[in-house]
Amino acid sequence: MAVSSPTFAAPEAVRTAVPATARSRPVVSSGGASSALAPSVTLPLRFVITGVLALLAGLVLLAARPDILAAYHYNQYVVAATHLFVLGFVCTIVMGAMYQLVPVALETRLHSERTAKWQFAFHVIGVAGMVWMFWRWDLKQVGHFGSVVAMGVGLFAYNIGRTLWCVPRWNVVATGIASALFWLVCAVTAGLVVTAAKCTYDSVATLSPVNPLWAALKALQGTANFVNRFDALGVMHAHAHLGVVGFFVMMIVSVSYKLVPMFLLSDLQNERRARLGLWLLNAAVLGLFFTIALRSAWKLAFALLGAAAVTLYLVEMRAILRARRRRLIDWGLRHFVMALWLLGGATVLGVVLATSWLPVTERTVQLETVYAWLGIVGVVTFTILGFLYKIVPFIVWHHNYSHHVGRHKVPSLADLYSEPLQIAGFWLFLGGFALAAAGAGLMKEGWARAGVLVLLASLAVFGINLAGMLRHFFRPRLAPLVPAAKPVLSKP
Amino acid sequence: MNPPDEAALLDALRAIVDPEIGLNIVDLGLVYSAEVDNGIARVKMTLTTRGCPMHDSLVQGARAVLLEVPGVTEADVEVVWDPPWHPSMITEAGRAAVGLA
Repeated sequence: MAVSSPTFAAPEAVRTAVPATARSRPVVSSGGASSALAPSVTLPLRFVITGVLALLAGLVLLAARPDILAAYHYNQYVVAATHLFVLGFVCTIVMGAMYQLVPVALETRLHSERTAKWQFAFHVIGVAGMVWMFWRWDLKQVGHFGSVVAMGVGLFAYNIGRTLWCVPRWNVVATGIASALFWLVCAVTAGLVVTAAKCTYDSVATLSPVNPLWAALKALQGTANFVNRFDALGVMHAHAHLGVVGFFVMMIVSVSYKLVPMFLLSDLQNERRARLGLWLLNAAVLGLFFTIALRSAWKLAFALLGAAAVTLYLVEMRAILRARRRRLIDWGLRHFVMALWLLGGATVLGVVLATSWLPVTERTVQLETVYAWLGIVGVVTFTILGFLYKIVPFIVWHHNYSHHVGRHKVPSLADLYSEPLQIAGFWLFLGGFALAAAGAGLMKEGWARAGVLVLLASLAVFGINLAGMLRHFFRPRLAPLVPAAKPVLSKP
Repeated sequence: MNPPDEAALLDALRAIVDPEIGLNIVDLGLVYSAEVDNGIARVKMTLTTRGCPMHDSLVQGARAVLLEVPGVTEADVEVVWDPPWHPSMITEAGRAAVGLA
């Protein structure tokens, strides 16, 4: 059965008896135990659409400036593009999906939809300004817009945290989501600290100590002095690992333990293994942050710890997939399976980069860009695209068709989009991803640009499917209900 | 008019299709019992998982189609979790139709 939206009620709560007077026109409302708990349809969709637009902007930017991929990564344009991808695209969609998925995965309700709407405003304004200011390398303004993003993240963490607080049965999924939230807050804090370290605080000397700004600036100056004792590149990489591994990968790991068995009619095969993997991943994120920031040789040990965590996760996912009762894996989930392969590849490359085996050359340093590309565009984006083919159809179906069940023939979730287009999008994305990765690794701008253009084609295909799904809001597709004695089959 | 029997109720319930799996709730094995007593249709059913997002839709839909069965004046649909649903409860026809192992 499909994903999303909170829907658990005690058996007593759903016991329903309709009086005879209602027989002529059965009252079938869209309300009820689960619908009352679900966030409104516009909440997750605004995050999803904004995120897809950010991905479009990011790809257009890379097509115009392929040197961002094919040249060394420590410059303002790479930093701006990276934040457009991770905050504008990935974070936005993950946040919207969490508002939809956390309640269903954990059988509770979202704490506050209003807070989520405020968070959306903070997030969009903050990220747009932040990316723009990174591009201009105006770090003072980056700090200001970053603070706006941080306020949004604070609201998000509070909202999801309060939601987790009400979880009736704490399990490995809840532990993982709580961990991911913690690392998100750490990543944003680290990002603000890194930005503060790159600013100057000349006005401290001119302000009076009684001015309230003086104390704040003095604190920022002290922070900057402390952080500047460390290697700037190391600190930036440490910050990136907190966000990508701590938040995104942790979130993928934990949520997939619920959703993949649900979609494939399978079960979590070994909860102990799953729990151990989560804690190893937590330990690895913590250790990697400090050892990368300090450029310590111990980072290899924590990279191996992270590799062990990923291995346990992949073994568990393989077991879940093998135990599935649905033979056919739909193309939404095939995106996710591809992401699992890429996660394995990114982990191996991460361990190699953590060693000191490779000589430091212009080429080998590009492997860091390939590693980031593998993680952000490979693992995370493949996962997001796959799950969007589950989340968006459900949101659309639930809003437009759930109250017609039993009164009209309604489409299945798979009927809401074109599978051939989905398959075309998958292969285009894989091809574009690989070509751009090769362009980054070999420092060939032409290859990088070609790869990104193929990715844009894939995104266009996804956009057509997305528009097709959203069209059901305006043109629902209903047919007369025909009772059937034999199995009624829709597209499986 | 003869009162409707279990087969009539199950036939009606076959119109309710799980939109994710693409199979009706009877062949999916979600309906545990269906009976009519003095015009009141009583159905015990389950869902594939707790927290199923289709919970309301399927229950309300089941109730609606039961009320369309001639001779049914009331519909009582109860969701139970014991025994928990398992894919082995899917009928042979349903299993073959949607590619289940």
